[in-house]
Amino acid sequence: MARARTTADAFNAIAEPHRREILTLLKGGERVVSDIADVMGMNQPAVSKHLRVLREVGLVYVHPEGKQRRYGLDARALEPVHGWTGGFEEYWGESLERLNTYVKKRQREEE
Amino acid sequence: MTPDAALSDRELMVSRLIEGPRDVVFEAFTEVEHLSSWWGPEGFTTTTRAFDFAEGGVWEFTMHGPDGTDYPNWIQWTEIRPPEVIVLRHGEGPDDPEQFSSTFLFEERNDGTRVILRSEFKTKALRDRAVEEYGAIEGGNQTLGSLATYVTETEDRPR
Repeated sequence: MARARTTADAFNAIAEPHRREILTLLKGGERVVSDIADVMGMNQPAVSKHLRVLREVGLVYVHPEGKQRRYGLDARALEPVHGWTGGFEEYWGESLERLNTYVKKRQREEE
Repeated sequence: MTPDAALSDRELMVSRLIEGPRDVVFEAFTEVEHLSSWWGPEGFTTTTRAFDFAEGGVWEFTMHGPDGTDYPNWIQWTEIRPPEVIVLRHGEGPDDPEQFSSTFLFEERNDGTRVILRSEFKTKALRDRAVEEYGAIEGGNQTLGSLATYVTETEDRPR
């Protein structure tokens, strides 16, 4: 898979541990910078820098709310990453997970 | 993958404990109503054109990805031994040169049934490609779910 310049590339964006931590945090819902900084024990400028990189690759969006800006996660930008990590094991891991759910459901229905 | 399995460089294996008795688990592989309820990753659906669960019989279907992409699928069962073994050939169609063979084993366990899938590809190159490209790119929510997995794996793996 061809890679775009570093700052515009989801692979690069998630290569940095703090940025992954931010994404994991935003999975739970939108947050403001100060909030993210508090949770991560970082200063706001450092968090803002990471958020800028994540915004450039489309992983994070900004939603202005009064004076504050709330940041949220847009996982669609992870598609290239997923395409790269997906594959046989992922495909069958998920299929068999669904099979397990289906078998359990059928047993409940028969009871 | 289980550590004790001797796999050739043309094979891949996945296994999972399914929480149900072996006959119920096996049955889920035998009818299209069952198969279409679980076959494929989360978010995928299937449309079946032909289905005949028998040795030499064929299942022709299209998988629809969550992003709208369609994937042609063709399966021919080569061995059916209820409730223990199913062997099939899998490809995009009957003339697909990249068809591969998959063996499903169903092992009875105290807490359920272990399903073991071993797939054998024609070449190591095809096997390697399947590691990365088998299936499809999935939609956003699905992708999100696997972020944690991806992160753990890349951190564990020396580069």
